Amino acid sequence: MENILEIKNLCKKYDNFELKNISFTLPKGMIMGFIGENGAGKTTTIKAILDIIKLYSGELKIFGLDNRKDERKIKEDIGVVLDDMFFPEILTPNDINKTMKGIYKNWDAKLFYDYLKEFSLLPNKQIKTFSKGMRKKLEIATALSHHPKLLILDEPTSGLDPVARAEVIQIFQNFIEKDDCSILLSSHITTDLERIADYITFINNGEIVLSKTTNELLDEYGIVKCTEKEFMNIDKKDYVKYKKAKYEYEVLIPNKKEFKTKYNISIIDKITLDDLMVLMIKGEK
Amino acid sequence: MIGFIKKDLAMIKSNFKLLGILIIVYTIMGLMDKMDISFILPFMCVMIMISSFSYDNYNKWDAYSISLPNGRKNSVKSKYITTILMTLVVSIITIILSFIISYVNTQTINYEQILVTMFGTIFGTLLVLTFMYPIIYKFGVEKARIGIFLLVFGIVIIGSLLANFVNLSNGLKFLAFLEDYLIIILIIITIIMVYISYKISVKIFSKKEF
Repeated sequence: MENILEIKNLCKKYDNFELKNISFTLPKGMIMGFIGENGAGKTTTIKAILDIIKLYSGELKIFGLDNRKDERKIKEDIGVVLDDMFFPEILTPNDINKTMKGIYKNWDAKLFYDYLKEFSLLPNKQIKTFSKGMRKKLEIATALSHHPKLLILDEPTSGLDPVARAEVIQIFQNFIEKDDCSILLSSHITTDLERIADYITFINNGEIVLSKTTNELLDEYGIVKCTEKEFMNIDKKDYVKYKKAKYEYEVLIPNKKEFKTKYNISIIDKITLDDLMVLMIKGEK
Repeated sequence: MIGFIKKDLAMIKSNFKLLGILIIVYTIMGLMDKMDISFILPFMCVMIMISSFSYDNYNKWDAYSISLPNGRKNSVKSKYITTILMTLVVSIITIILSFIISYVNTQTINYEQILVTMFGTIFGTLLVLTFMYPIIYKFGVEKARIGIFLLVFGIVIIGSLLANFVNLSNGLKFLAFLEDYLIIILIIITIIMVYISYKISVKIFSKKEF
């Protein structure tokens, strides 16, 4: 399968934070959910992909091309929604249209105005008059209107109410189906990701903890709820992390099938991405 | 490239009303022969360009612009081109008004004087702006403002100190010699200055991280 995005051993050092050997790949036509707590390194990774921060070391390929050497060519085909970064707010959607027409070869003004209409955004109003949700929608409309092959979205649904979120998620899904494109989507709202992401990449403290297909992840991983006595019998290599609750132990296991055959514990709960994140981050080994 | 310029022009568009009012005030003051305020339009030009940096900064446009094709280079280039366009337009407006005012007031037109004024204006405006841009790109618009204030203050103090020590009549003779070639010298210096400033800004911005 062709890879749209390949990241190998990406490192970036700051005084108080470090991205350590980030590696993952995003195959063509797939949506990858990029999850992790605040400050885990999601935005930093995305900024490195877009050259907003310079790489410390590592290799970054987009559409099979080097992200810096072929920067111009690559960026013609990328659409972005970035957290808190956009056009100056005294501009209007009309201004954005004029600007983008002069920037992207493939800018589709009709599509842009269709999105504006769909999102009920007035083209001649300054951005500063828009609510947070409207701004996000405008950012999304802007990111989609040059028919990009890769969408890089940093928290695109934050600030949106559930209805608007569903609307936006639907648009992303349509986008993937129509143009055979790929999406890298970072989000805290993991329920959205469970619905649409084909892959989940989990970053914690500047390191990739896991990168798998969503189905694999949700099928294979599980949470065992057991007593202290039962927990003591579990081999350390058979679980990832555990958390001691008031009356029981919650144990994150990487392989439900294997676990069932090995241990006589019947209660294995299905996992959600939220559980996974909490246990991975807060759990003990 | 064109897109980036359009974005900068769209941003300064919101200042056109104020610019229009200033032009009217300027004309009236000139016609009443009360006061020469020809500095006000170039001054406004400087303010408008700097406020465009503030808006960019507020919504983190610079970081966003890098995600666009050739964004790092074009967002700097467009600022310079917009600045030059803006300066030229304002200067041309000033010169036309100066002709009119001069003719109405005295029934004669001092071409040479007006041309020198115009090139002086362009030179002065671009001097301030091109000096500021690399500082803005390096330190951000807020810090650059303080920097520029200190700089102007410093120049005035050093200038006045020097004036006390240097023999003024020699200086004046030298200036008289320059006057014959003043316009051509100003044009050359302006071009060199803008070019150097642009190169420095591009270099700073090409390494900048957000």
